[in-house]
Amino acid sequence: MIVVNYLAAAALFATGLYAVLTKRNLIKIVMGLSLMEGSTYLFLISLAYRAKSTAPVLLSPPGHLGPRALAHGNVADPVLQNFCLTAIVIGVAVTGVFLAVTVRIVQHYKTLDADRVRDLRG
Amino acid sequence: MSRAGLSSLLPLAVAIPLAAAAISPLAARLSRRAPLVLSALALAATGGLLAVMAPTVYGGRILSHFMGHWLPIGGHALGIAFAADAWGITFALATAFLGLLLVVYTLSELGDLGRRELGGYSCLFLLLCAALIGAALTADLFNLFVWFEVAALASYALTAFFLERPIALEAAFKILVLTTIASFAIFIGAALIYADHGALNFGQIHRALAGHLRPADLVALALLIGGFATKAGLVPFHGWLPDAHTAAPGPISALFSGLMVNLGVVAIGRIVLDVYTPAVGHHVLGLLMVLGLISAVGGALFALFQDDLKRLLAYDTISQMGVLVVGLATATVGGVAGAGYHLIDHALFKALLFLCAGSIVHMTGATKLSEMGGFGRRSPLLAAAFTVGALAIAGIPPLNGYVSLGLIHDALRSTGQAVPFAVMLVAQVLTIAALGKATWQAFYRRLPAGVEHERDERLHPGMVVTLAVLATGCVAFGVFPTFVLDHLAAVAAGVLLHPAAYAHGVLAQGGAVPSMPVPFDYTYWSDILVVGCTVVAAVPVAMAGMRWAGTRPVVALRRVQTGSVNDYAAYLVVGLLTAVLVLAGTALR
Amino acid sequence: MPNAEPSTPAAATRDAGSRPRPLEDHEPSHRRPLGLVLAAGAALLLGAAVWAIPREHAPLPAVAHEALRVALPTWHILEPVNEVVYGTRGFDTFGETFLLLAAVVGVVVITRGREARRGYIGEEEAGARERRQDDPPSRSGRAATEAKEGEAEEEGRGRGPATPDAEPLGTPAPERAEGMTVVVRGAVRVISPVLAVAGLYLAAWGYSPGGGFPAGAVIVGVVLLAYVSLGYKRIERVVRPGIIEPIELAGATAIVALGVFGLVFKGSFSANFLPLGQPETIPSGGILQLFSGSELIEVATGLTIAIFGLLGMGHEWSDDTDEAQGEGAGEGDGDGTGGSR
Repeated sequence: MIVVNYLAAAALFATGLYAVLTKRNLIKIVMGLSLMEGSTYLFLISLAYRAKSTAPVLLSPPGHLGPRALAHGNVADPVLQNFCLTAIVIGVAVTGVFLAVTVRIVQHYKTLDADRVRDLRG
Repeated sequence: MSRAGLSSLLPLAVAIPLAAAAISPLAARLSRRAPLVLSALALAATGGLLAVMAPTVYGGRILSHFMGHWLPIGGHALGIAFAADAWGITFALATAFLGLLLVVYTLSELGDLGRRELGGYSCLFLLLCAALIGAALTADLFNLFVWFEVAALASYALTAFFLERPIALEAAFKILVLTTIASFAIFIGAALIYADHGALNFGQIHRALAGHLRPADLVALALLIGGFATKAGLVPFHGWLPDAHTAAPGPISALFSGLMVNLGVVAIGRIVLDVYTPAVGHHVLGLLMVLGLISAVGGALFALFQDDLKRLLAYDTISQMGVLVVGLATATVGGVAGAGYHLIDHALFKALLFLCAGSIVHMTGATKLSEMGGFGRRSPLLAAAFTVGALAIAGIPPLNGYVSLGLIHDALRSTGQAVPFAVMLVAQVLTIAALGKATWQAFYRRLPAGVEHERDERLHPGMVVTLAVLATGCVAFGVFPTFVLDHLAAVAAGVLLHPAAYAHGVLAQGGAVPSMPVPFDYTYWSDILVVGCTVVAAVPVAMAGMRWAGTRPVVALRRVQTGSVNDYAAYLVVGLLTAVLVLAGTALR
Repeated sequence: MPNAEPSTPAAATRDAGSRPRPLEDHEPSHRRPLGLVLAAGAALLLGAAVWAIPREHAPLPAVAHEALRVALPTWHILEPVNEVVYGTRGFDTFGETFLLLAAVVGVVVITRGREARRGYIGEEEAGARERRQDDPPSRSGRAATEAKEGEAEEEGRGRGPATPDAEPLGTPAPERAEGMTVVVRGAVRVISPVLAVAGLYLAAWGYSPGGGFPAGAVIVGVVLLAYVSLGYKRIERVVRPGIIEPIELAGATAIVALGVFGLVFKGSFSANFLPLGQPETIPSGGILQLFSGSELIEVATGLTIAIFGLLGMGHEWSDDTDEAQGEGAGEGDGDGTGGSR
């Protein structure tokens, strides 16, 4: 059932957000953001789904339908899947920069505690 | 050249800086300064290209082009459209030319850094400028999100550029977390709009929303506003801004404050006024007005009590972005034209101020106002430039702030909004007090006893040229407002206030927008009275600010900006949820 | 854990205006309940937004429908997602390429080593002052020493054997070898070419699912497998930034050039200017295939640079007093942080 997907995406998003809002360990904050990313991927793929449709792959389609017929029939939405691809690349890129910055912070402040890395305040 | 031919050149405005960005790290192998020279050439070429298109666009036309000739089929846009309209091309031109000035400044101030450092710096700088231009010229929601992300990713490493300063890395972490949450919000908002209406092109979305506005659309609008407000640094989405603008190198702070935060406001203006209006009604304008007023006052108030010069200027950026959004939220000709004018003005005077502050750090290593003093005698050029910038923010004629602030104040008064007008005046008094305090402490008083400066370098010629050009720009935009108002701001206001014409222009690959005349009387007694009263009232406020800096209520106030990334994220989420509830609540009414 | 308070009275009074209070040691108690409320609120918001939108029983949006009906035959390909990614919405992918470039260059800038600078840089002075005030002194202790030894071995300066097979049988744990046993190395040597070909296959056959991004990820996976199994010293001779960086930048430039050639030859940015082959063959997509191939190059090389930059980060920018300053110049050798210039 597709509703389960949406519930799972919302739960994942909430978990990731909770981690970002409450955890003091920098790496846990990064992991929380990765969870939120993952939930958006799931959300988008679920939005792309159409009932009784097949994947948007027209090569050797299932059943007896030829590629032309499938293109006029029900396939899942390829534009939302394009969004998802873009989001995955964004996620990889951001996580890479996050980890580099975190290592540098630890080199300076000698701690992973976000409450100790607080020299800019007020 | 025909209009269709001209509009097909639009993507080059993005492709030229991107190609130069891809070549910059290789150019670093040739010589230290080659990447920066390449950047300057690329930005000059982009600026020239946009200037060629500017007369057509400012004549009241929209140049629209679909990539790859994927034209719309039956009103459904298949491909991605780039549309140059007066609102967008103003921002694109500002990016290209201010970027060019900042590269010249960087060449002379930071030209002695390491080779690979400068290669990476110019690559990221160009990527950021290209992304800002792309976001200004695009007419597609997901494309806007992609350029927003490119700008964000380029800004992270630029914030952390001076790795020997631990605060640079701390600031990079905070801007990472908050901008990533904002990007999720925009992403989900775009996906919701697509799932609801099957459209990504602004013109197509506008037409699809015209009949029926569903709750999902309102949630999407709130998410989009929240996400772009984070980029713009509006309260309560502002947690990253003071830190990032303080810790970044001087020219980068100027770029952030002068151009990057404007991306958020340009996008908000586009989405609220050109896509969602008139389907959504007045409640979203009320929300924007509240956001703008809170930012204007909050930013100025925090600026007053700052000791670090760049942090003071960063809080002032928050305040000025609030002023911009207030101008947009009035949805009148004067207000919107004033917002567009203030966009240019803010870019000019904030870049000027940040470059001065950055050069103080670079020349002497001093960052705190309590340790500064006497720069007026040692470096009179710098003092003059900073004073021009401070006077411009104060809104004193004949500088440019007078015109743009006057337009926004007049718009508030003419629509009978007395309370917002009063709040804006309070914000203006606080701003003048903060900037006045900074100018006096840094330049016009003697060095406090016991403080010594390690080194003292003189301004390089490139730096002097840049500061002179920016100061001249501040003066010019103040002395010749009629030209700007009649030819530039009027058309920009016309674009934002005629969404149907914009939608038609985008989908039909070109259209016309009416130019709306902007009435502004330079010597209107009310504007002059406002300037006089705010300046006079600011003097005791500035002195109070200096005397009360360490007292208990001020310390308690400053503890709101806790410095913890968890708390800033919490503020952001509270802001998002409030926006959603406010907008969704209007649907139930 | 060392506290980051200002240490001298003069610094304390000077900072009174700018630093309201020293850091507290206990966690503020408001965070957990507030976090729960906000997270639950966000989840409810998402759920409520999804409730009303048309879902799986709605017809395909017109954009997607037209993409399938009109665009697929125009490109002579059969793969809708590839067509949308590289064709109709190719400008988004164009932007995304430079997003990845921004991230890779950003990681390189953040993980760079120190270089010679001329003249006086005020930020260095400010940075030194901030480090004196803010950075706590180096910890010494078992955890820190072990971490430093581990780093030294990562960079090939350790005294461990090259592979576990070089250690005599019965050596007590933990293993200190750089690489892995002969079984793992042999398996990786056998499977790497297969995986690499699989990655290239993903990108080359544009009429089946795949494309440049997953193919690039597979190639990076191959490089990582080799790194893990063979050890850093043997990999760094092959994965050199001097060669890989220009390839990545060439990939990015090629993508821009594809768009510009479309403008020059066909009058619109990223229009197709190559002849389209027969459907279900490799050249069937025109510039889609070239775009996909350039993406493969860009993603594979870019991610490799980023990962090896992260692995080779040195300690030159912070005052790690245990690390001799002279060692700082020799660290980060040959992996993208300016060693082998």
